[in-house]
Amino acid sequence: MLNDRITVTPKHEQAADVVLEFLADKMKPKFIITIGGEVGSGKSTLAYALAHKLKKQGVRSKIVDLDDFYKIPPLQRKEWRRANGIESVGPSEYDWGKIIHVINDFYENQKSLMPCVDLITDYVDEITTNFNDIDIIIINGLYATKIEQADLRIFIELTYDETKEAQIFGDKEEMTAFRKQILEREHEMVQGLKHGCDLFFDFDALVDKYHL
Amino acid sequence: MLGDVLLITEKHQKAGEAIIEHILKKQKSKMMIAISGESGSGKTELAHVVAKGLRKHGIMAKLLHIDNYYRIHPLERTEWRKQNGIQNVVGPGEYDWETLNKNIKEFKAGTSSTGPCVDLVTEQIDQLTTDYSGIDMLIIDGLYAIKTADADVRVFIELTYHETKKAQVVRGKEPQNEYRMQVLEKEHQEVQALKPTANILIGMDYSVRFVK
Repeated sequence: MLNDRITVTPKHEQAADVVLEFLADKMKPKFIITIGGEVGSGKSTLAYALAHKLKKQGVRSKIVDLDDFYKIPPLQRKEWRRANGIESVGPSEYDWGKIIHVINDFYENQKSLMPCVDLITDYVDEITTNFNDIDIIIINGLYATKIEQADLRIFIELTYDETKEAQIFGDKEEMTAFRKQILEREHEMVQGLKHGCDLFFDFDALVDKYHL
Repeated sequence: MLGDVLLITEKHQKAGEAIIEHILKKQKSKMMIAISGESGSGKTELAHVVAKGLRKHGIMAKLLHIDNYYRIHPLERTEWRKQNGIQNVVGPGEYDWETLNKNIKEFKAGTSSTGPCVDLVTEQIDQLTTDYSGIDMLIIDGLYAIKTADADVRVFIELTYHETKKAQVVRGKEPQNEYRMQVLEKEHQEVQALKPTANILIGMDYSVRFVK
């Protein structure tokens, strides 16, 4: 994702510390962490805070954002969803073939080609990265915890209702009736993936605290 | 650049609006806007605001960060600078202008283009492929961006590292030490030398002045 605006707050830092502690005796080479949760819940911010803390420990992690892996590109997605109905919204919107491919490239220490959305133009660029020196991939996205290969699954409990403000001020999308419908549908789909996760965070949108 | 943290404030928004107004007046196809200023002066923030604002006018602008084009890898740069002498090597010569100019040509021709893209988390240099066919304008930001041949608008931010030292610490981009200070001083001299070639000056308080 290019030109994303990330604001790390103390609650993200604290959550990242909890993850590090949890990881301490579980680490192994070529480790996969997934972070699932609703839009605006802080997935990519936690990924970023965590990656930075890992870097300080000498562990190299690459962030993979599943928002880059939609089959339908951003500029056509709204129209496509309208045409295909609200039931089309869900994990099947991802290009899972590409996601699996990237995971395999990571396991095999290979160069990998990944889509990369530019949030200013909404066009999809392509990133070529080398997984050779990468110890961990941190995959974040609405349905990231569906990934079976994950060694650690993190779920962020904040629901779209609580992040309304983040939605408005995050200037990523403007709220319309259809957008609300989509968020409601995504909410159901994301919450359905909660079981089987290893760590849960509940970032309150207003209080600068986390609770386990 | 992947994993960059932006601190966009009201002052960037205001200055951005004035620049956008100017761009709209001078608008031409495949227009190039360059933004120069010292480390931490807010180049990337301003570039981001301008690109976002242009989008509201139906203009697709792509950001190009010159920091992606350093010839020496981020992890080796400090050592390389120390060995060759900060006074001798810090400056525009550190950048791969050949690749940068090639990518600019590809923007003008509206073709597909591949250039370096630093991931600040992994400190690796990925390759980013962009299709420039739908891109109307290019906004180049970097210390020496206004050196770029045939930039149509050349913006210079007057803030120096003396005023922004604080901002650097907040950003936590690089450790503050004697070496870093020497680099900032040399960059300061090199950047200030470019000031006479600018046609828009952004003052210390982010006020916008147009010069002939």
